[in-house]
Amino acid sequence: MIGWSWPPCSTRRLSVGAVIVATLAAGPVALAQDAAAWLARAAQAARTLNYTGTLVYHHSGNVETSRLIHLAEGGQEYEKLTSLDGPAREVVRSKDEVRCYFPDAKIVRVDPRTFRNAFPALTLEQQQTLSRHYEFKRIKGERVAGLAAEVVRFEPKDGMRYGHMFWSDAATGLLLKARLLTEKGDVVEQFAFTDINLNAKIDREMVKPSWTAAPPDWQIKHVAATEVVRHQTGWSASKLPPGFMKIMEGYRTLRDKRYPVAHLVFSDGLVAVSVFIEPLFATPVETGPSQQGGLNVYSMKTDEYLVTVLGEAPPATVRQIAQSVGKR
Amino acid sequence: MNEDISRLMDGELDDAALERVFKATRRPPQAEISPDALATWVCYHAIGDSLRGTRAVIPGFAARFARALASEPTVLAPAPRRRPGIVQPGTWAWGIAATLAAVTVVGWTALSMLDTPPSTVAKVREAVSVRAAQVKPPASVPADYLLAHHEYSPATAIQSVGTYLRAVVTQESEPRP
Repeated sequence: MIGWSWPPCSTRRLSVGAVIVATLAAGPVALAQDAAAWLARAAQAARTLNYTGTLVYHHSGNVETSRLIHLAEGGQEYEKLTSLDGPAREVVRSKDEVRCYFPDAKIVRVDPRTFRNAFPALTLEQQQTLSRHYEFKRIKGERVAGLAAEVVRFEPKDGMRYGHMFWSDAATGLLLKARLLTEKGDVVEQFAFTDINLNAKIDREMVKPSWTAAPPDWQIKHVAATEVVRHQTGWSASKLPPGFMKIMEGYRTLRDKRYPVAHLVFSDGLVAVSVFIEPLFATPVETGPSQQGGLNVYSMKTDEYLVTVLGEAPPATVRQIAQSVGKR
Repeated sequence: MNEDISRLMDGELDDAALERVFKATRRPPQAEISPDALATWVCYHAIGDSLRGTRAVIPGFAARFARALASEPTVLAPAPRRRPGIVQPGTWAWGIAATLAAVTVVGWTALSMLDTPPSTVAKVREAVSVRAAQVKPPASVPADYLLAHHEYSPATAIQSVGTYLRAVVTQESEPRP
C-alpha cells in the first residue's frame, strides 16, 4: 500500500484487540502489550484518517520528497503518492490494485495487490517475540510536522536486527516519522512528514492518477499471477536469527521468470525477511549483497538454484540467512 | 541567493561564483556576513541534518545558551579568510561557520528551527530537492522481489510508503523491453 497503514483485515484484527484486552492486567507482558497497542493505534489511524502531507524519504545520503494523499471512504482506502523531485513517478492505490506510473518511460505497472497479507495480526506469541528481542521504550515527545508527537523506540537486544524509532501524532496516533538505526545508532533510512493536514477535505478526484495512461502512447504492464500459492516448498533456512518464525511459504510467479519462484517469509513480529529460491538458468545473474535504504539483499548461487534473501535487517543477517538455505 | 547558498553547501561553486556570493552576502561589502544569508545557511544545514538524523537539537539548550551568552564578554570574531589554492569542496565553507560569530548565529538559528515557520520549511525543502535531484539512487534491488516481500513485511506495513518509494526508486529507469 502506499499509506502508513496496516491493511484491512477486520476479523483477525478483532482477535488481536481481544488478546490485548484479555491480557492487559498481566504484568510481565505489559511491555509487549504496550508495544502492540502502540502499533495497533498507529495502524488504525493510518487506515481511517484522511490526510495530505509532504513526505521526505532519506536513505543512503539521498533525499526524496513526495506528496501523499490518503482517503478512507466507505471502508475503502485510496492513496496517491507523487514524487516532487527527481524523475516523475506516481503510485496510486485504489480498491484492488496499485499502479506505478513512470511518465518518462511512459510505463504503467499494475499490481493486483491489496496488502491484506502484511501484519495480519500480532498473535500473543508474536507479541512475546517482540518483547523478547526488542526493548520497547517510550521517549519524551517531540514536534514533527508541526504536531506534538509521541516517540517510541524498539531497541534490538542483539546485533542481528535494526533499531526502530517511530514518531506518532499524539492526538490521533498517526505515524509521522520513522527511523531505522544500526546497532551503533547510525541512521539507515528515515521517512518523515514535513507537513501534514489531518483535516483535509479530500475527494476521489484528488486520489486519481495525474496521467491518463493509455496505449499506444503508454505501455501497460500487468503483473499477472503474483498472488502466492501457499504450498510446502521443501526449502528452509537453518540459521535464522532467534525469534524469526515462518509466516508464509509458497510459490509465486514473478515477471520475466520462466518458473514459479519459491517464496518463504520469516518475521520477528516487527520486520520480515523474504527468501526466494528459483532454478538457475544460463542467463547471468548478479550475486552478492546490495542495499536500498533499510532493505538489504543477498543473492547467491547454489548448484542449481539462485537464492535471494531480502528484508529490513542488517547486511550480515540477510547474508547469514541466505547461506543457510537448503532443502529440508 | 538562497540557491547560491545551497550550491555553496554542495561545493558546486567555482572561485568566481564564490567571490560573487561572498560579496553579495556582506552588507556593506567587507563587513560581516549578512544575518539573512547566515540564517539561510544555517537553516539549510539544520534541516539537512535533521533529515539525516545526524544532529539533534537538545531541549532546553536555548535557555541555557542565552544565559551563558549573557554572561560572556563580547568577542570580536576575525573576518573569515580564504586560504590560497583550491580547497576540498565544502571544507572551506565550513571554515566560515567555525568562526565564533558564525557559531553564535548557528546556535541561535538552529534553536529557532524548533518552531520553524512554514515558509522556512519550504525554503529548506527547496534546497533539499536540489540535492536530491543531483544524486542518482543505487539501483540493484530487484523490484519484483521487493514488492512481493513488502506484502508480508510488518514494518513496511506501518511505514509502507517507504517500501513503495524503495520499489519506485529501484525501477525509475525501467527500460522498455
